[in-house]
Amino acid sequence: MTDQKLRVRRAAVLGSGVMGAQIAAHLTAAGIPVDLYDLPSDDKNRSKIAAGGIQNLLKLKPAPLGNKDLAQFITARNFDDDLEQLAHCDFIIEAIVERMDIKKGLYEKIGPHIHDDAFFVTNTSGLSITELAGVVPEALQSRFCGVHFFNPPRYMHLVELIPHDGTDPAVLDLLEEFLTRNLGKGVVRCRDTANFIANRVGVFTMWSTMHHAQRLGLGFDTVDALTGPAIGRPKSATFRLADVVGLDTMANVIKTMDAKLADDPWHHLFKAPEWLSKLVEAGALGQKAGAGVFRKEGRDIKVFDPETGEYRTTDYSVRDEVKAILAIKDPGEKLAELAKCEYPETEFLWAIHRDLFHYCAHHLAAIAESAREIDLAMRWGYGWKLGPFEQWQAAGWRKVACLIEDDVESGKAEVDVVLPKWVGDIEGVHGPGGSYSGATNEVSPRPDLDVYQRQYQPVRLLGEASHDGQTVHETDAIRLWTLHDDVLIASLKTKMGVIENGVVDGLNAALDKAEAEFDGLVIWQPQGPFSAGANLKAAAEAIQRGDYDSVRTLVAGFQDVNLRLRYAAVPSVAAVRGLALGGGLELAMHASRRVAHLESYMGLVEAGVGLLPGGGGLATLAMQINADTAAGDTYPLLEKRYKQVAMGQVAGSALEAKEMGYLRPEDLVVMHEHELLHAAHGVVRALTAAGYRPDLAGRTIPAAGDVGVATLKMLLVNMLEGHFISEHDFEIGSRIATVICGGQIDRGTPVNEDWLHHLEREHFLELCALPKTQERIAHMLKTGKPLRN
Amino acid sequence: MSDAYIVSAVRTPVARAFKGGFRNFRPDDLLAHALKAALAEVPELDPARVEDVIVGCAMPEAEQGMNVARIGLLLAGMPDNVPGVTVNRFCSSGLQTIAMAADRIRLGEADVMIAAGTETMTMVPMMGHKVAMNPRAFSDENVAIAYGMGITAEKVASEWNVSREDQDQFAYRSHQKAAAAIDAGEFTEIRPVTVTSRVPDPRTGQVREVQTVVDTDEGPRRDTTPEALGKLRTVFDAKGTVTAGTSSQMSDGAGALILVSERVLKELNLKPLAVFRGFSVAGVRPEVMGIGPIEAIPKVCKQTGIGTADLDWIELNEAFAAQALAVMRTVELDPDKVNPLGGAIALGHPLGATGAILAAKLIHGLQRRQQRYGMVTMCIGTGMGAAGIFERL
Repeated sequence: MTDQKLRVRRAAVLGSGVMGAQIAAHLTAAGIPVDLYDLPSDDKNRSKIAAGGIQNLLKLKPAPLGNKDLAQFITARNFDDDLEQLAHCDFIIEAIVERMDIKKGLYEKIGPHIHDDAFFVTNTSGLSITELAGVVPEALQSRFCGVHFFNPPRYMHLVELIPHDGTDPAVLDLLEEFLTRNLGKGVVRCRDTANFIANRVGVFTMWSTMHHAQRLGLGFDTVDALTGPAIGRPKSATFRLADVVGLDTMANVIKTMDAKLADDPWHHLFKAPEWLSKLVEAGALGQKAGAGVFRKEGRDIKVFDPETGEYRTTDYSVRDEVKAILAIKDPGEKLAELAKCEYPETEFLWAIHRDLFHYCAHHLAAIAESAREIDLAMRWGYGWKLGPFEQWQAAGWRKVACLIEDDVESGKAEVDVVLPKWVGDIEGVHGPGGSYSGATNEVSPRPDLDVYQRQYQPVRLLGEASHDGQTVHETDAIRLWTLHDDVLIASLKTKMGVIENGVVDGLNAALDKAEAEFDGLVIWQPQGPFSAGANLKAAAEAIQRGDYDSVRTLVAGFQDVNLRLRYAAVPSVAAVRGLALGGGLELAMHASRRVAHLESYMGLVEAGVGLLPGGGGLATLAMQINADTAAGDTYPLLEKRYKQVAMGQVAGSALEAKEMGYLRPEDLVVMHEHELLHAAHGVVRALTAAGYRPDLAGRTIPAAGDVGVATLKMLLVNMLEGHFISEHDFEIGSRIATVICGGQIDRGTPVNEDWLHHLEREHFLELCALPKTQERIAHMLKTGKPLRN
Repeated sequence: MSDAYIVSAVRTPVARAFKGGFRNFRPDDLLAHALKAALAEVPELDPARVEDVIVGCAMPEAEQGMNVARIGLLLAGMPDNVPGVTVNRFCSSGLQTIAMAADRIRLGEADVMIAAGTETMTMVPMMGHKVAMNPRAFSDENVAIAYGMGITAEKVASEWNVSREDQDQFAYRSHQKAAAAIDAGEFTEIRPVTVTSRVPDPRTGQVREVQTVVDTDEGPRRDTTPEALGKLRTVFDAKGTVTAGTSSQMSDGAGALILVSERVLKELNLKPLAVFRGFSVAGVRPEVMGIGPIEAIPKVCKQTGIGTADLDWIELNEAFAAQALAVMRTVELDPDKVNPLGGAIALGHPLGATGAILAAKLIHGLQRRQQRYGMVTMCIGTGMGAAGIFERL
């Protein structure tokens, strides 16, 4: 099996519940048609249950489908009539109810229908893979393992891969490659221990947090204020997360842990607190029930108070002394301050960190190959900025170990188990050579699968070595560098990749260098989004000074560098992930090609701040509309593109961006964000191999002209009369219409990019001078939200 | 001057646009069906004697373009010598054709005329396939040319003080009346249409033909309530009162009437259903186009000497509940006499076909109830109103 490739031409998902259906949805985004199975129904449509699961995908938020159109590639099936279809599936994942007897029955039923080379896996989160393997038909056992997605599967990076003793190691390698390259996931290999890794540590953290909160008398709102972004975790913190997961689910999980982890020294924590049982009994199950720990009352959100048994107004305030400690930059100093336990809040924070570190160290050898798996699992599965071992190491390995030992000795620790011996033998778990393995007592290097060769700059854990490439030129705004080859990489260093004069200068320098010395240029940000747009703050300051000349210079300079990019002698590729908004998108639109991670959110959103795309975005759209409707009426596409800009629509995925024209048909969508740079290099090489020639500059197109403007304004005037838009929206919308139609000129008059750029600039500057636009910019800078004035 | 006698008045059922029974049924075929059905009512009449076929259509392009009147009559199997002309006055097109047909007869220029209307809003959208606004609409005082119909309804609602509750109640009544009329078999003017659809059958590799008979108006919602209507969001004005539920439905349908002179009536010994008494049309401000009938109704009453009090049955096209109520209140129409079988909010409004459809509905209704005078009236986009009076014989 070793030299076999896993080519998934068709997949089956067994179980059309929320998790199964969402996995099916993500598979379609990866270009894989799916058969979605569930129980047969008495209805005329025997696969009605699975069909309902598909329907539900269109309603779920955040959207599980990369594009609504993909729902048609999921076929509803049932376990009675359609088992023969399984023979066509190369990857079969089971996600039915978590009951051993039911799973066993299903496995026996489907076994004969699965073809000899197919992979059969389970998405169980609660049952033992080894036990399940016991009921898998023998012929399938070597191709069976756990593939555990996190909810929502499209957006959560983590997939846990759990073998049983009989799983063929080659199968695991092929699955890891498939899950990484084709589905874009971060794979962490786990042992077959209860709850695997992420939930083992994550759920422990929640119970320990609840335990210490109750012990120290902290309100649930206070706990959430302390356990969210304040300590590098998501905003949902502890109790909001519990509401999202569902309090009934939480109660079930704790029951499982109670039963399965009898030997765990922290076992006494695995009991549902009284308040939780009460809330579950009362039907307050969390988000899905409209009430849980938190309850929405009109416009207010109230929090449950276990003391009184009532909901009360939330209070997220944290005392200044504690805030000051949390603001300490040095992690070691911060943890030491917390460990002094001067306030209930600091005692609480120290206790939950101490228990977390203590728990992870104690269980490392049993649950994970190395510390790397635990840290990556917590980053990818729970959205923590740093994994538990990274946090520990950042705060000073020895120092923290001493603090924990002190607590164990003095009886303050939750359990009286001493730290494992290896903790004292090392200076930290992560180092340049890899991560510490509790099982082998050695440093375990990163896996060397081929698929990871495609990740030039993967997520690096604190302490791991990174490969930064070779710098060619660097300023405050941009870094030009290479991977020691013929492709120049430009990485914007500004916050969120915002575009400002320094970036424009840097891009000009990049083009100078690329044309002189390289085969091509890739624009790629190692971290964060591609670009959130132009630097509004700089523009606002210039406008305030009345210095419109410098605004004009910025706009003209940005237009010019974008044109240089489009018509350069060497190919350029914009490698996009995350936000590409406004000027950021305009930059990407001018590259020769784009490669985009599935999770790319593109839009020309300038109208929200009272402006219009002034960096060649509207000109590009006008030219594209003409090219894309060569044989017919341009108006329907013009109206669609116009609405995108006038309403500031943002694509919800790279696939949607293709429909919106921001990605072109020849552009590539990449499933794994860390393979973007690899793909971009490949595109540069392909373009070079084909003897790259840029588009011819100076092309003219027939303008939609005054009739086009009037027809678009007809849409606007109805929205204005209907109070859907403001007078200023109408003003901005009219100008966007004017630019994209080539001005108030005779319909059909030939215009070129220069003319369209001239219109962009003039209308951009005129909008800058309007007080209502200035209010919008100021509001955005102050609140981060658009103002509707 | 000869009177113009109506000897046949029929229509297709009105189907919901996009999802209804006529979603793949062309407007020229709908017209052909209506023409054949109208002729079948008077077998004594040789179709070759038809002087002209005048067909109303509000968006005469694409499937209903290229002079749909001539195409439809040829598809109906009418003789080559019969000519056809398409007429457009938006929503009154199908009534306009009756007036024009009657005029030819009354002038003595013709003995047999057909007046009809056809429209599929499924195939040809409200503003046609290619919208191209005149730039001068925005530079002159003519911005209302660019207004959608919904905005004009909002303006009528606010200028004539028609409340949201009254509109919802009116729409509810329309559905109730229409459902009751269907149950009571009151739509005797309908001539069912057999629709053949062809779909691929992947199992056999053959094309499968599926025949369905469309015999009932599809629009009425029996289960709607004033509460349900009250929950709908306004669609044209965020701060307004008009909802999808208080607007006419988008529909597909056709209707046709045969008009003859007294001479032909006697010659062929035909039984007249009604005589056409008169017609008027008037312009109003385009931004409140819905009130058009307020001008047209008194005008036709004065012209014919038949007052609103004399009318037994009024078919007032329900473009919007707001404008229908404003018209009824201003002209003081007896609500019990207006749309006794429900109106366009429940039954649909296939634009240019509506005039012919309402006339057929009215004439059969007057016959069934043995009433005398009836009126068909409607508002017209860009600010007009039309009204025509019929007398049962």
